[in-house]
Amino acid sequence: MQHQDADIVIVGGGGAGLRAAIAAAEHARKEGIEQRILMLSKVYPMRSHTVAAEGGAAAVTSEEDTLEAHFEDTVAGSDWLAEQGVVDYFIRHAHRELVQLERWGCPWSRKPDGSIQVRRFGGMKTARTWFAADKTGFHILHTLFQTSLKYPEIERLDEYFVLDVATVGGEVAGVIALQVATGELIALRAKSVIIATGGAGRLFQFNTNAGIVTGDGMAMAFRHGVALRDMEFVQYHPTGLPGTGILITEACRGEGGLLLNKDGYRYLQDYGLGPETPLGEPKNKYMELGPRDKLSQAFWQEQKAGRTGKFADSDVVYLDLRHLGKAYLHERLPFICELAQAYINVDPVTEPIPIRPAVHYTMGGIETDAQCETSLKGLYAAGECASVGLHGANRLGSNSLSELLVFGRLAGEQASQRATATAYADIESLQQQVQDQEKQVARLREANGSETWVGLKREMVQAMEDGCGIYRDEQGMQRALDTIRELKSRYQDIKLSDRSRIYNTELLQCIELGFGLDIAEATCLAALGRRESRGAHQRLDEGLQERDDINFLQHSLVFFNVDAPAQLRWQDVDTRFSAPAVRAYGDAGKGA
Amino acid sequence: MAKHVGYFPELKRNWWLKNRYFTLYMVREATVLPLVFFIACLLAGLYSLLQGQQSFQGWLQFMQNPITIVINLLALVASLFHAATFFTLFPRVMPLRVGGKAIPAKWIILGQWFGVLLVMVLFAWVFGRGV
Amino acid sequence: MTTKRLSIQRYLPEQSKTPFWQEFEVPFDDSTSILEALNHIKEDMDGSLSYRWSCRMAICGSCGVMVNGEPKLGCKSFLREYPGTISIEPLAHFPVQKDLIIDMEIFLEHLAAVQPYLINDSQDSNQTHKQTPAQLAKYLTFSDCINCGLCYSACPQFGLNPEFLGPAALTLAHRYNLDSRDQGKAQRMVQLNREEGVWTCTFVGYCSEVCPKSVDPAAAVNQGKVESAKDLLINLFKR
Repeated sequence: MQHQDADIVIVGGGGAGLRAAIAAAEHARKEGIEQRILMLSKVYPMRSHTVAAEGGAAAVTSEEDTLEAHFEDTVAGSDWLAEQGVVDYFIRHAHRELVQLERWGCPWSRKPDGSIQVRRFGGMKTARTWFAADKTGFHILHTLFQTSLKYPEIERLDEYFVLDVATVGGEVAGVIALQVATGELIALRAKSVIIATGGAGRLFQFNTNAGIVTGDGMAMAFRHGVALRDMEFVQYHPTGLPGTGILITEACRGEGGLLLNKDGYRYLQDYGLGPETPLGEPKNKYMELGPRDKLSQAFWQEQKAGRTGKFADSDVVYLDLRHLGKAYLHERLPFICELAQAYINVDPVTEPIPIRPAVHYTMGGIETDAQCETSLKGLYAAGECASVGLHGANRLGSNSLSELLVFGRLAGEQASQRATATAYADIESLQQQVQDQEKQVARLREANGSETWVGLKREMVQAMEDGCGIYRDEQGMQRALDTIRELKSRYQDIKLSDRSRIYNTELLQCIELGFGLDIAEATCLAALGRRESRGAHQRLDEGLQERDDINFLQHSLVFFNVDAPAQLRWQDVDTRFSAPAVRAYGDAGKGA
Repeated sequence: MAKHVGYFPELKRNWWLKNRYFTLYMVREATVLPLVFFIACLLAGLYSLLQGQQSFQGWLQFMQNPITIVINLLALVASLFHAATFFTLFPRVMPLRVGGKAIPAKWIILGQWFGVLLVMVLFAWVFGRGV
Repeated sequence: MTTKRLSIQRYLPEQSKTPFWQEFEVPFDDSTSILEALNHIKEDMDGSLSYRWSCRMAICGSCGVMVNGEPKLGCKSFLREYPGTISIEPLAHFPVQKDLIIDMEIFLEHLAAVQPYLINDSQDSNQTHKQTPAQLAKYLTFSDCINCGLCYSACPQFGLNPEFLGPAALTLAHRYNLDSRDQGKAQRMVQLNREEGVWTCTFVGYCSEVCPKSVDPAAAVNQGKVESAKDLLINLFKR
């Protein structure tokens, strides 16, 4: 068994991981100390799913905008389930981070005078979303990756699949990883570990997410006793392409796109988002610029009422961009034009794009404190895998790219700080865990049961889609939970067809499925326990269709048990600045 | 931990025959051959002019040989083909901007062909007058 | 449902030192991509087939393969586009690790060699630079590279000499050289001026043809030659 030492190990090479790595390097330089920063990623960093973010990153920018307004939008958007101290920190630091990216070369879109251009986004009072055409995530990720090459103290282990976090004496001691190219295991001893592995959208059948978004890091922390918080809140993005679920950015609506049902009617005015705004005059927090949860719910209602159209096998509504004209579309939304043309053969210049909601984002995740540290000492989490408490029950579009910068940096600095005052754990005490992992991987590779990972995965994503969709009821969620628990036990009887060591991708998919099942159980459990409707968690059960602040102004926390079902607990929400109020958009939300 | 060496397919000698694009590229490169012949002809003509009338007559006879004419025609076609490929590539290598706006590639290409036309007209005028 | 035959080059280093071909008959419709066909094979026919993929929307750059001898993104090429049997091979000009998985290390080395980041001495980090849309437009296309590596498979010069920095790396260098905020051109020119820099390129142009993001690396590399020529000339007079 090989082992290496690094002061800080970062798991995941997406936006949050890269930002954390650079922040740690800068912090160590400022302190005048030498630290080795090791970043492990199961794919090359530029493949990370940050790359697919399209619309933009939010920060208070214009003269008319205020920090209070961004705070209020985020808290109201979260249906008052956000940690308000965290939101306050976030809105104060977002702008600095976007400027920093500019200083690193990010090609932000500009006004004619050369200053930063901002665009409208859903649920935001005013235009405050920085963008790089409609490939913002791509440009952020590549800017961060390329900038990281400046720092020799940041070393990368690309295509290393982290299997587990190692602990000694209740504190983090490193990670155990599998080198994908050789199938060999390696122990990496570290003083601080940052998990930045992204969300878990692939638990669901129909999603906008890349194949790698399987929630690995969440499951690793969870298995070590760290709580998963607010997992019941799963964001359905209102505009995915039918068939594939490929994301069509909210920026389309920010730029003035319309949502129409099959009769060409702007149905959102019937769901508390009206009155209808005139063509070419999008208005913040009205109609198409409502928040994502409300828009996806409106689709569901239209579908029920039979007012959706058809595209192949999918029920769809239509995103109409035609009035924006070819030149503007090609300048502001070139990627959307490319995607619609390539994947459904629709030219947005001449035809409305058929779209439908798709699972997009995991609002919940690894519970951390406001400094990104988990309940396991030395273990940090940042980005979509974490629940630092920014999004509550519903995330506003363009808050997450800013989040991974603000909290990626914070996590990196905190991890570096801790590493200055901590010693490496005793290597002997790591050995046992490494050997356990080695045995587990060997057992899985040779597994010869009667189940296949493909079969189990298909049942899992179907169960989650059916039971934890846009609207939920007791029976459906219970059925999903029962199915997931059954799948967990059947997982023990799995069979692999590939027994090789070199690039055994079947083995990895199998391990990912194991992670996914644990998180799926937590999601179902939290969803069942939340007997109210809030944000992205909407129940159809009698008496549970409204928000219930008396009983459920609380975070859900799910804890893992090795040989028993996971356990649900509740945690108070930080509402120090803004007491829960009615969450309204359109005219009903005037002045809010 | 080092990866295993893996399998590294060697590029075969006939790589340029496997892909239409590569073949066309090789043809573009090969245009140099008839052009070398043409220039050699010119140099030989100049040399024989210096050597006296007899020598120059011999050169004229050589130039009237049908094979020489065919190769020189080939050289003309080759130079036009090379010009065509060069002209299309030029706006990409030297993108021209006027007042912050890029000049469309099409215009630059047309401009270059116009230059060729101009040279030919000038040539015809100069030599046409002399006869 | 109609089906199509895929002929895939397999390479299983733990079993044999030489690659072999294997055929699969896969169902398809108008929207089926090569990547979806590979996923179908892996999930329902042969779990040992190995390849890289992730976003399936032509932005992560993972799934490059040779389709009928041409470098393509698996997720952005569709079965309907090809009559007859479709041949799938790993990207050309790279060492193959297993099946359709190539060794990308040399690509990453070349990328890092050109110092692909903004070099700027000014310390004022609380302010954004001014950059007009026209200044942005100068380099924006060249910043769209997704590092998929297709252009290296399209480049015979890289095939003949893997030390050649290659289209994507040279494009990235040029992207930063053209950025109005950057001051690092002099440092990058050292790499570009080398024989394995811009001058190995003979403007075959196929790299731009296969680029799935219309980045036009051939243009960037050859603009790099103009810059390199200027640079060499200036240095000549400086001496």
